[in-house]
Amino acid sequence: MSAAVVTTEDKSGTTGEGPVFAVSNLWKVFGPKADRIPGDSELTALDPAELRERTGCTAAVRDVSFEVNKGEVFVVMGLSGSGKSTLVRCLTRLIEPTSGSLAIDGEDVLAMDKARLRELRRHRAAMVFQHFGLLPHRSVLDNVAYGLEIQGVGRAERRAKALAVVEKVGLEGLEQRRPGQLSGGQQQRVGLARALAVDPEVLLFDEPFSALDPLIRRDMQEEVVRLHREEGRTMVFITHDLSEALKLGDRIALMRDGRVVQLGTPEEIVGSPADDYVRDFVRDVARADVMSVRSAMRPVGEGEDTPGAALAPDAKVAEAIEAVARSGYPVRVMDGKRCLGVVDHAGLLAVVAGTDPARPASAPGEVVA
Amino acid sequence: MATATASTPARDTGIGALLRHRAVGKLLLLAVAAAVLVPIVDARWASGAWPDALTVDLTEPLGKTTDWIIDNRDSHWLFTHFLGHVSNAIVLSVRGVYLVLLAAGWAGVTVGAGLVAWRVAGVRLAVLASSAFAVCGLLGMWVPTMQTLALMIVAVLASVVIGLLLGLAGGLNDRIFRILRPVLDTMQVLPAYAYLLPFALVFGMGVPAAIIATVVYAAPPMARLTALGLRGADGGVMEAVTSLGATGRQRLLSARLPLALKELLLGVNQTIMMALSMAVIASVIGAGGLGDRVYQALSTVDVGQALAAGIPIVLLAVVLDRVTGAAGERAGAPADDRSPLRGRRGWSFAAAVTVVAALAARFADRVDWPVDWVVDIAPSVNTAKEWMVDHIYTGVPVVGGTADWAANFTTWVLNPVRDGLQGLPWWSVLLVVAALAWVIGTWQTALTAVAAMAAIGVLGVWNKSLDTLAQVLAGVAVTLVLGFAIGVAASRSKRLERLLRPVLDVFQTMPQFVYLIPVVALFGIGRAPAVAAAVVYALPAVVRITTQGLRQVDAAAMESSRSLGATSWQQLRQVQLPLARPALMLALNQGVVLVLAVVVIGGLVGGGALGYDVVFGIAQGDLATGLVAGVAIVCLGLMLDRVTQPTARRAKKGA
Ligand SMILES: Nc1ncnc2c1ncn2[C@@H]1O[C@H](COP(=O)(O)OP(=O)(O)OP(=O)(O)O)[C@@H](O)[C@H]1O
Ligand SMILES: [Mg+2]
Repeated sequence: MSAAVVTTEDKSGTTGEGPVFAVSNLWKVFGPKADRIPGDSELTALDPAELRERTGCTAAVRDVSFEVNKGEVFVVMGLSGSGKSTLVRCLTRLIEPTSGSLAIDGEDVLAMDKARLRELRRHRAAMVFQHFGLLPHRSVLDNVAYGLEIQGVGRAERRAKALAVVEKVGLEGLEQRRPGQLSGGQQQRVGLARALAVDPEVLLFDEPFSALDPLIRRDMQEEVVRLHREEGRTMVFITHDLSEALKLGDRIALMRDGRVVQLGTPEEIVGSPADDYVRDFVRDVARADVMSVRSAMRPVGEGEDTPGAALAPDAKVAEAIEAVARSGYPVRVMDGKRCLGVVDHAGLLAVVAGTDPARPASAPGEVVA
Repeated sequence: MATATASTPARDTGIGALLRHRAVGKLLLLAVAAAVLVPIVDARWASGAWPDALTVDLTEPLGKTTDWIIDNRDSHWLFTHFLGHVSNAIVLSVRGVYLVLLAAGWAGVTVGAGLVAWRVAGVRLAVLASSAFAVCGLLGMWVPTMQTLALMIVAVLASVVIGLLLGLAGGLNDRIFRILRPVLDTMQVLPAYAYLLPFALVFGMGVPAAIIATVVYAAPPMARLTALGLRGADGGVMEAVTSLGATGRQRLLSARLPLALKELLLGVNQTIMMALSMAVIASVIGAGGLGDRVYQALSTVDVGQALAAGIPIVLLAVVLDRVTGAAGERAGAPADDRSPLRGRRGWSFAAAVTVVAALAARFADRVDWPVDWVVDIAPSVNTAKEWMVDHIYTGVPVVGGTADWAANFTTWVLNPVRDGLQGLPWWSVLLVVAALAWVIGTWQTALTAVAAMAAIGVLGVWNKSLDTLAQVLAGVAVTLVLGFAIGVAASRSKRLERLLRPVLDVFQTMPQFVYLIPVVALFGIGRAPAVAAAVVYALPAVVRITTQGLRQVDAAAMESSRSLGATSWQQLRQVQLPLARPALMLALNQGVVLVLAVVVIGGLVGGGALGYDVVFGIAQGDLATGLVAGVAIVCLGLMLDRVTQPTARRAKKGA
C-alpha cells in the first residue's frame, strides 16, 4: 500500500489530463444472486417491474458509462428511484458495484484493497449528503474537523483548518453550536464544510439541497457556484431538480430506471433531447435562458453588415432577444475579432418556441440510450 | 426509573373484527383437538390434580447433586480453579469498596455523593443525594447502607461491563442478536426470586452468590439496550462517517457508541435499579446490608426496625434513579457552561473536595456516624403499630378492620380460587392455558405456555403452583380493577394526572422487597398481605400504561365521536377503550409479571406456596425443594407472560 502516493500532488495532474472518474458498463443490482443479471442478455432486456417479478432483484444502475473531467461540474439528474444515489455511492464503493469498471485518475477502484479504498475516501473524494449525516454530539467545528481527525491530523492543525473552512462557507460564530441547534441550510453548510475540510480532489453531492426550502436552496446553489469558480474543484452533483441541474452543470447525465438516457451540456439536453422522455422532461424549461446564441445563428447574408451591437457566442438567447429588440436589426455574433454569424427575430423565436431543433452549432449530444 | 411506555399506534376496528374471526377459528381447532385427546388422556390418568404417573421425582438426583457440590466445594478443580477464584475476587472487591467507603467516613461519602450528583445531574439532585445519605445516618443505618452500597457498586460495575460486552456483540452481529434477544427478553420477565437458589447452591450462602445473582439479574437490560442502541444508529450518519474513510474501530468509537449514548445511559439506569432491587432480596442468601436488616426484622414482625432499614433503601433507590436518569437526559445536550463543575476540571474538583471533607472528619475524630446523632424510630413506629393492632385491625364499626379484610379476602377470594383451580382436572388447566395464549398470541406462545405449565406438573408441584397462581390471579384482578379505574380517571383529568405523577415515580423506583413492610404493618402476615404487596407494587405500572394508552388515542377519532353527540361514557367505551386495546394488553402483561414477582417474595411473610418453598429450601439447606420451587416459579412466569403477550414485546418496566 503506497499511501504516500495519495497526496494533493495527484490532483495537480501527475496523471495528465485524463478524466477524474472513468466509469464504464457499471451495474448495480440489489437482490438475491444479483451477479447473474448483468451477464444475462435475456434478463437485461426486461424492464424493471418484470425483472423484479422474475428474479426478485432491482437493477438500480444499468450499464452506465461516462467520464468526469477535471474541473467540471458533472450533474446526474433523474426522477426519484432512477438510481442516482446508488450510482454516486458506487463511485467510492459505499455501495459495491455488481459489475463493470470504474477508475479514478486511471487507477482501478474496484481492485483497491480496504486500506487503499480508505485512502481514496479520506483524500480524494468527499461526499455531501441529502440528510447531512452530521454527528449530533459534536460541535460544528468538531464535525467539520471530523474527516481530518480520522486521518490522524493533530488537534491544533485540524482545528485551524476547520476554522478556515467554517469561515469559507459562512458559518463564523456558530462553531460551538450543535447540529441540532442549526437550521437545515446551516446544517448543510456544515456538511459541505466537512467535505471541503479534507481538501478532496472531487466533491460528490447527493441531492444536497432537496431538504431545504427554495430560497435557502438558491443561496446554497450560489455558494456551490462560487466555490467552483474560486477553487475549480471537480464536482459530481446529484439532483432531481432540472433547473438546479441546468444552473450548475457543465454536463448533465439524465437517468431513467438505472440507465443514462442522455449525456450532454445543458444546451444539448434542452436543444436536442435524445428521445420523447427527455423532451417531455425539458419541455417547461425557459429555453431562452439555457440556449446560447449559436443555436439561433445564421450565416451573414449578402451585403448585410450591421455594425453596432455584437454578442459573444456563449451569450444566452435571452440576451440576444434584448439586443435585437433594442436595435431593431439582426445582431452579429463575434468571437473576438471574427464574425461567426448573425441572429435575427426569426432565428431567436424558433429557438424559444423549440420548433427548429435542426440548427445546433455544435455536435448533437452524445446519446447513450 | 424509566417508565414503561406503550407507544403502539391505535389499531383500526376492522382488524379487531377480523381478529375475532381468527380467534373463533383457533378455538374451534383447539376444541377438535381436545375432543380427541381428552377422552384418551382422561381414561388413562383420570384424576383432578396432576397424575402421579406423569411426575418425575427430582428429590433424589437434586439431593445428590447438592451433596456432591457441598462435598467437592473445596477439592474439585472446577471450584478450586475457577469458581473459587471468581468467588474470591468478588469478596475482595466488595471488601475493598466497603473499606474505602468506611475510610471516607460519613462526611466524605455525603459530600462526595452530592458533588457527583451535582456534576452529572445538577444542583437540586446534589442536595437530594446528600440529604438522603444524611437521613440514612440519622436512622442509625450508616453501616448497613455502606454495605449495600459496596455490594451495589461492585454488582453494577460488573453488570454494566458484562452487559456492554454482550450488547456490543449483539449490536454488531446479526446472528448473535437473533440468539440474544429472546433470551434477554425472557430473563426480564422472570421474578428476581427465582435466580437466588442456583447461585446459593454453587457458591454457598454469602456475598459471592448474592453478587452473581444480582449481576445475572441486572446485566440483561444493559445488554439489551446497548444492542438496540447500537443497531438503531442513524444510517445516514454512519454512511457519512464511512464516506470519510473511517476504519471500523473509528466508526464504533466516534460514531456508533456516542449515537447510542442515550440508550446506554438508560441501560445503566435500569441496571442500577434492578441491581438494587436484587441486592436487597439477596439478603435471603446472605448478602447482608440493608436488605438483611429488613429481612431479619420482618421475620420477627418488627415493623419499626424494618421501616428504619426500608427508608434508606427507598432513598437510595430514588437518588440513584433520579441522578442517573437526569444524566441520561443531559446526554447529547450541550454542556451547561455556567456550572462551576463543568468539564474534566469538575471531576478533579469534586474528588479534591471529597478528600478534604473526609480528612476533616478524620481529624475531628468523626469518621463514624456520631452515635448521638441517631434517631431511633423503631420504638415509636412499633408503638404506632400496636395502636393500629388494637384499633384498626378489627372491630372498627361499619368498615371492619384491616385484619378482618385480610381474613375475608382469604376466605372469600383466595381460598375459593385456589380450591377451584386445584379442583379442575389437570388437562382442562392446560387447555385453558392453550386457548388463552393462542387467542391472544401465536401458536408458538401457546406452545411455550402449555409446555411451561406441563413442566410444573411433571416437577410434582402442581398443587402448590396452583396456590401461587390463585394468589397471582386474585392480585392481578384487583390490580387491573384499581389500575384501570385510576388510569381512566387520570386520562380524563389533567389535575389528577399531575397529582399522581410524583407518587407513581417514587413507587416505580422502589425495590420489590420494601413493599412487604407496610402491608405487614397493616395486615399482619399471611397470603392476603402478600397479595396486597403485589398489588401495590404492580399498580403504578398499570396505571401509567393505561393513562398513556388512553391519552394516545387519536384526537381526531375522539373529536368525531364527540361531534356525533356521544356522551362521555359512550366515548370511553366505544372509542377510547377499543383503540387503546394494545396498551391495555400491555398493562395486563406487565401487571401479571409484576404481581408474580412479589407474590413469590410474599413467601417471606406467610404467603406460603412456591415462595415459601424457596425460602424454606434456602434456610434448611434443602436445596432440592427450593430448586424445584424456583424452576416452577420460572415456568409460572413464562406461562403467565406468554398467555398475556399479544404480539411483539415492548418496552418493559425494569424493576
Ligand atoms: N439497499 C437496497 N436494496 C434494494 N433495493 C434498493 C436499495 N437501495 C436502492 N434500491 C432501489 O434501487 C432503486 C434506485 O434507488 P436510488 O436510491 O439510487 O434512487 P434515487 O435516484 O437516488 O432516488 P431519490 O431521488 O428518491 O433519492 C430504487 O428502485 C430503490 O428501490
Ligand atoms: Mg437518492
